[in-house]
Amino acid sequence: MTSAYPAIELKDLSFSYDDTIALSIEHVSIELGERVFILGKSGSGKTTLSSIIKGRRTPQHGTVNILGEGSAWSNRSLQKRIAMVDQEFNLISRMSLIETVLSGALGRTSSWNTLFGFFPNREWAKAEEILDEVGLTGLGNRRIDTLSGGQKQRAAIARALMQEADVLLADEPISNLDPELAEDALDLLVECVQRRNIALLVNLHQPRLAKRFATRVLGLVDGKIQFDGNPDSLSASEEEFIYSNPAEPTPSTTKGIHGESATTMA
Amino acid sequence: MANLQQQWLSRKLVHWTVYGVFVILFGISLYSSEFNLENLNGAGDRFIEFFTRLVPPDWSVTELVFNATVETLSISFAGTFLAVLISLPLGFVAASNISPRWIAHPLKLTLGLIRSVPIIIVAVLFVAAMGLGPFPGVLAIAVHSVGMLAKFYAEEFETADKRIIDAVKGTGASWIQTVHFGVFKQCIPQVLAFTIYRLEMNFRDATVLGIVGAGGIGTYIMVYTQSFQYERVAVLLIMISVVIFALDQASFWLRRKVQ
Repeated sequence: MTSAYPAIELKDLSFSYDDTIALSIEHVSIELGERVFILGKSGSGKTTLSSIIKGRRTPQHGTVNILGEGSAWSNRSLQKRIAMVDQEFNLISRMSLIETVLSGALGRTSSWNTLFGFFPNREWAKAEEILDEVGLTGLGNRRIDTLSGGQKQRAAIARALMQEADVLLADEPISNLDPELAEDALDLLVECVQRRNIALLVNLHQPRLAKRFATRVLGLVDGKIQFDGNPDSLSASEEEFIYSNPAEPTPSTTKGIHGESATTMA
Repeated sequence: MANLQQQWLSRKLVHWTVYGVFVILFGISLYSSEFNLENLNGAGDRFIEFFTRLVPPDWSVTELVFNATVETLSISFAGTFLAVLISLPLGFVAASNISPRWIAHPLKLTLGLIRSVPIIIVAVLFVAAMGLGPFPGVLAIAVHSVGMLAKFYAEEFETADKRIIDAVKGTGASWIQTVHFGVFKQCIPQVLAFTIYRLEMNFRDATVLGIVGAGGIGTYIMVYTQSFQYERVAVLLIMISVVIFALDQASFWLRRKVQ
């Protein structure tokens, strides 16, 4: 899909929880094909930003324009064009892997069909293709709760890819994984995104990984963008500034793999 | 230290007061229900007489009783099935995380009201309106079960993980798809387990429905006990026990299987 509009355009965006300003962004424009990694401490506004782009939160001020069609919170049909991989994966543990991947196609499949579990043949073929792509070949009939943490992460990525979205958001996608698995997961994510030429936005804690995988880095400090540029131009001192500035205390994010905790902000 | 001990003591005082209240309530209830151990004098002999009159069971009514048991099973299955069909949609409407509060809350209250009517009264009502037979029994079971199942389903749906619901919604799913995949699929084991449990309860309820003319084995319980044909009552008791035991086992096995 080629578009004259940027994949994501943010203007005069501000969002506050009660009296605390969590996010304040003047202007950011992200094109299809860009891989933007957002760095920042917990509480710097990374998650708030991705949930606003996803349309789960409505900012008090400002606009988000997805492919020139408005914001996802006001235009529900944009939902399916923005895929999201959450920190906790948020998969349904009783569903089989293949059903989980197929559920990424809900937005373009009729409710009557899915009510009885039917998806069109081409969706089945596509889901199987994606399983191969993310390295889960042969596990389609396994239940999600029998998969390992790394496999669940791949399942979440597969579901997001199945959506055929133009924008893929990943909120701390690797914080539940071991370091080696984490790099593999990012590798996979970036490869899949490159094949599709879509916009990727990743919230991350590790500057080292951002430098390796990003085409562009945004540094968030207390809800404001303090760095925007090429990952190679991110200097050690700037990196330190992003991470050393005091931010609000982190809300607890303890959880099991599909845990019960409530991570409300940050 | 003294402070800790005082706090402990005041906690204990609360506990003892609560126990005291229960003891007093127990005493009142014994008194008002005319509890009198002297009435047990000679009751033992009559118990023994009753049990000796049960034997030998009169097996000539086996076929009749068997058919009545099948009818009772059918009443409970049909009633439960109807109740599930009605309760599932009602459960979604009564769940406050799916429906707006102003509709969920009154609906829950209404369900409570339905639940509060004893099933035997519901059955009397349907028999009065429709005449004798198993069909009013089915309806009585269905109505009574809806009060309980729909409320339980709603409460179960309310426990669904909101982040998973958001994830499903995020794929661009419609409202029905979000409820189906995000809420219902998470809750299937509990929903099934409770439905099976309710089916078990419904069979027990269905055995007595015949007493008010709503079909099934209860009809014969009434006829045989009132005409003192205890040898036939024995066959009824054996049949009911066997079926309830089998249902109990099947339900236990099924509930463990569906996880």
